[in-house]
Amino acid sequence: MSILRNRITTKLLTVASTLFGISVFVFVVLRVVPGDTISSSFGIETSALTPEKIASLKAYFGIDKSLLGQYWAWLSGFVSGNFGLSYHTGVPVTSLTLHSFPVTLELALLATLFGVTVGTMLGFYSASQPGGRRDFVGQIFGLLALSLPSFVLSTAIIAVSANKLHYFPNGFEYAPPWVNLGLNLQQMLYPAIVLGIAVAAPVMRTARSSFIEVQDKDFIRTAIGKGVNSRRVRFVHVLRNALNPIVTMTGIQFGYLLGGAVIVEQIFALPGMGRQILDGITKREYATVQSTVLVVAITFVLINLMTDFIYQKVDPRIR
Amino acid sequence: MLTLSKKGPKALVVAIVTALGISGAISLGVTSPASAAQTLNIGISADMDKLDPHTSTNFATVRILGLVYSELVESTPDLKIVPGLAKSWYWNSDSTQLDMYMRPGVKFQDGTPFTAADAKASLERILLPATGAASRGNLSLVTSITANRTQLTIKFSAPNAPFLAALDGVNMAMLSKKDIDAGLIGKKVNGTGPFKFTSWSPGTSVKLASNADYFKGAPAVAGLNFQIIPAESSILSALNAGTIDFSYIGNPAVAKQVGSNLVMQKTSSLSYHVLQLNARVAPFNNINVRLAIACAIDRQAVVDSAALGEGAPTGPLTMPAYRSSLKARPCATGDVTQAKKYLAAGGYPNGITIDVMTEGGEYALATPIALSVQSQLAKAGIKMNIQALDAATYIPKWLAGDFGAAVANNGGKVDPDTMYTRYFTSTGNLNKVAGYSSSTLDALFLKGKSTGNVTRRAAVYTSITKELETQAVWVWLFTPYDYYVSSKSLSGFTPNPNGSLLELRNVKLS
Repeated sequence: MSILRNRITTKLLTVASTLFGISVFVFVVLRVVPGDTISSSFGIETSALTPEKIASLKAYFGIDKSLLGQYWAWLSGFVSGNFGLSYHTGVPVTSLTLHSFPVTLELALLATLFGVTVGTMLGFYSASQPGGRRDFVGQIFGLLALSLPSFVLSTAIIAVSANKLHYFPNGFEYAPPWVNLGLNLQQMLYPAIVLGIAVAAPVMRTARSSFIEVQDKDFIRTAIGKGVNSRRVRFVHVLRNALNPIVTMTGIQFGYLLGGAVIVEQIFALPGMGRQILDGITKREYATVQSTVLVVAITFVLINLMTDFIYQKVDPRIR
Repeated sequence: MLTLSKKGPKALVVAIVTALGISGAISLGVTSPASAAQTLNIGISADMDKLDPHTSTNFATVRILGLVYSELVESTPDLKIVPGLAKSWYWNSDSTQLDMYMRPGVKFQDGTPFTAADAKASLERILLPATGAASRGNLSLVTSITANRTQLTIKFSAPNAPFLAALDGVNMAMLSKKDIDAGLIGKKVNGTGPFKFTSWSPGTSVKLASNADYFKGAPAVAGLNFQIIPAESSILSALNAGTIDFSYIGNPAVAKQVGSNLVMQKTSSLSYHVLQLNARVAPFNNINVRLAIACAIDRQAVVDSAALGEGAPTGPLTMPAYRSSLKARPCATGDVTQAKKYLAAGGYPNGITIDVMTEGGEYALATPIALSVQSQLAKAGIKMNIQALDAATYIPKWLAGDFGAAVANNGGKVDPDTMYTRYFTSTGNLNKVAGYSSSTLDALFLKGKSTGNVTRRAAVYTSITKELETQAVWVWLFTPYDYYVSSKSLSGFTPNPNGSLLELRNVKLS
């Protein structure tokens, strides 16, 4: 019992220190780079501002306090659910995030679903003939998917779909699923495939290695020797025992998708968190960037915790 | 060895087809989203940044709020100043007093009548330093503003011929006095323009509805729906797919891909690309170094390589009425031999190394221009290091004059006075950015401001152009084109070189 309590305590401490480190890092980086909210807001007219106006704007934007004061004001607000204000839009960051988070989450889920399904099946397919024709096909796919930049694939898909087929659902205003599910899924289709292919490649490689390793184990030979149906051997004995590294890879890839889909969100006009962070950086909206990055980090950490939980479910040896 | 059955590949294919099919099936059952008839869908690559028309300098904000607010005067697509909310005006004999008469029967979108008191309150808000208004400098000579019900009288400390042109643009928008007094500017959008502000979903869309009470007649379309599509190539795809009807494109590489299924109108912009040299910083404080750089650059070659031939070499003044002959500038078409001579005369016979900062992000041509200039300068023995910065880093350095040289895309104005006084006079608010001032330029700009006669004014600004170019203060490169692309079902739009979208009030959708 005490071992379990220690493990939970250690895990929570690791999570808390990771999140604290991220929050400090983002806070410091934003203030080290030149420019602030005032110069990005007023552009070339900043030079026309009087010292009094600049002082009142600094107070308005909350950048007149000491760095420690600014950090504490933001962090205490964040913990209580107040993520700060996006001064350019006049909208609270909490509200912006409530709109952008579901977009990115849905995109990441669909991309992961697509990527893991395709990656696992291709890994399974490759591993069935290591060094053979199937393996060659799988390896070629993996190499292509890894080396193809997402913006190239996105542009190619759009060029064919919009210009030849006159079909480009992302040209319509973004529709949340609760407003228009059909249009929403159409708008998610291409970006989820583009990101899914990027997820499929590492999943495929991991799955292939794992399948090859497991299918040579003694217990598999024993099962075959005992006359267990080959389908059952593949899907119950091999698949289940090879799942651990695939789950790990899936968790990592999902985490990357939460914060790393900026380019795809830009090209497909999806108002997700990647764009929110990018806009925040461009406009030097400290609260927007800090709060959104921390939301991504918390989600990443939660996904990792879930991955640990799934390990235990799929592999009793870890319990 | 465990092997898969032959069903393996089939299962994979079935899974992929199923995944695609689910979305495909959904797409078959869904047509375009329900939208009101005759609403014009417009793709824009950047979002608005605020709702205060007096303080915004963001292109998207200026363009969108320009459809909601009106000004006392407006400029036509051929850049003539015509009545807006002021139906007429009269100057006194020495151009130190302007009497303007307000158009009767105009209403704000909340139903309040527009009067001269609103105009007075709006101008006073712009003058108030605490507002941080972008065009406060345009009112620098104003000594008093008085208003009765329909008459607005503005007095100046000196003759102020360019003042009418300075009243154009959304930074000089007329606001409701009631809203100003209540502190609602920036929170409530209440103009007298052709469209009413309906909603703004940051990062997604801005929606406007037709204003039936617009004083120049209600627009033919029911409204405008601005959809934010950050990549211009995706905007073009949306036009090709028919999901949007209209857009403006700044990147010539994208504009070149517009096909015959769409209508593209190309107009020369008032803005300009320039290599700014800071004459207060070494080695640019050496006139021979500046002249060497100016001579080493063939502007047409920059247009051809960086902008794919889409643009026109320019001097300082980009408005047709004041454009000067490019042949008069030193080394008009680039002269490497002369550049080397200037370099030697400046004390650098073996060449020199310079740093030039550029802005990334939305300024798509910054890097191509920098690379083109870099290759040309190299031929004259000038090694150019490019410092690529993001916009939020570039702008503060630019404002502080914290650079030696910079590639910039600066906005143009209808009148040369409002365009350059703030840069090149010793008291101009952007003189630190210009990096140069002289008593000659101060005197010439003052003369231009007080000269009403168009021919005599043109002569003054020709002298200013000559002074700027013989001193190689900056190296003006070229004016770009603005591209307005629409579906064939749209008619009635005339582009304005100042970038305004006001003519959308006249468009029709068939």
